[in-house]
Amino acid sequence: MGIAKTDLATLNNLPASARVGIVGVPPLQVIHAISGKTIFDLDEPIVRQNIEETILYLPRVYCAILRTVMLNSMHLDLDVIVIDVGAGKCDAALHVAAILCDRLDIPVIQTRNNDDLDFGTPLCDSRMNLVEKITAICTGVQHPQPHIRHASCHPTAGFWGVPPRDFSILKLFPDTTHVFGWTRCMENKTPDNWELETLVNPDIPTIFFSQSFCAKTAMAKHLASRHSRGLFLDSDVTAGSSTRAKIQAFLELSGVTHASC
Amino acid sequence: MLLADFGTTYSKFTDSSKGSKPYIRETKSLPRDLHVDIATGHNGKRFSTSYINELTALAKGGESRIATGSFTLLDCGSRDTKFIRYENGKLADMGWNAECGASMGFTIELLERYYDIDFTTLTPPATCFSITCGVLGMSHIFDEITTGVSETEAVAKFVKSIAINAFRFAGEPVTLHLSGGLCDNPLFVKSFPCEVISLGRYVLLDGIKKIAEGQT
Repeated sequence: MGIAKTDLATLNNLPASARVGIVGVPPLQVIHAISGKTIFDLDEPIVRQNIEETILYLPRVYCAILRTVMLNSMHLDLDVIVIDVGAGKCDAALHVAAILCDRLDIPVIQTRNNDDLDFGTPLCDSRMNLVEKITAICTGVQHPQPHIRHASCHPTAGFWGVPPRDFSILKLFPDTTHVFGWTRCMENKTPDNWELETLVNPDIPTIFFSQSFCAKTAMAKHLASRHSRGLFLDSDVTAGSSTRAKIQAFLELSGVTHASC
Repeated sequence: MLLADFGTTYSKFTDSSKGSKPYIRETKSLPRDLHVDIATGHNGKRFSTSYINELTALAKGGESRIATGSFTLLDCGSRDTKFIRYENGKLADMGWNAECGASMGFTIELLERYYDIDFTTLTPPATCFSITCGVLGMSHIFDEITTGVSETEAVAKFVKSIAINAFRFAGEPVTLHLSGGLCDNPLFVKSFPCEVISLGRYVLLDGIKKIAEGQT
């Protein structure tokens, strides 16, 4: 069961004007229930306040995505938060859910998304600007329909991992970058899908990205070490010049250029 | 064509059209209106027409200086450390540590001047500290001195600690090709627990020279 019956009833009884915050990939039941409401993806930077405000409630050395969740939750005047916890998101989300529940005066509903209906990954394999591609995948989480079909392109590079806190690093990749890891699971609407999450293309140079302090860092490093053309990369709140230089040099030295897009 | 590697503390230059020997200047002494054709390095963008990524410059410099197709090349500069690993002529791994590798070279030079230490006379100590970066490692030196250890020995332990950190960062190779300003510090070079081949300060400069030659 992805969500308790009483919690689902709460969501079904929300007024049309309700402001709903979501964290991770909620189960399809939830997406249907909150359809038509104003939805905020709390994983993404929405409010402009300083992320250091979150040190009141979370350690400073902590996943930047979950610090962003906390910052958004503190400022968005939400009516309810639906936060996916467990294997489809991460243990840390469970901890943050408990803190949000304790700190906020609104319902904080925990879900465990075990959806296993494959919606496909046309965006991941398409030829598209990588910022636009991953933005579209993230937006797709809020809708119960599959993405429109996109033709698959010949890949020249790979991006494995979660959507980064700082999307600017995605500008460095060619349009012919295929997307793997948890981001691929997001598009497929099966966030707890280990086989899909660990899928890689061994023939293309691939950057294995993880947010600093995320548990997925270990898998990113491991998969990169097992890939003949892989580079492990982690980044915290914002990507510094050395992070950008690593991506740029890796792609250049692997023979990948934007000219090939 | 004037080429330059603008480091945090020192900048290296060569004029490829004249075939002149490379030379070095303190970065803080450079005129603000200086302009070169192609540059790399921490300060390179503001002084140049064309900028080459430091890791790319390091890789190309390694290709031009190292005969074998499989090697690990580690650059230890003033502000950061970075490495490139090639296997059979192809890129296998790379890294750039500007955070935990921060200020290693800069800190060693500060200590050398402050304590008036001659690194050419020292041998690596048997033990070292567990340190995360140059700045945080300083406290270990002061703690060590309070226990009665000499300032020189404490600094030697610090230098060895930095070498061990850099060795692990580079993937613990059997043979390490070393570039950057710390090549000139014999204690640092001797502190690595592996064979070290010092290539000197001008590897990144050789890298952008190779790239420039490919463009013409």
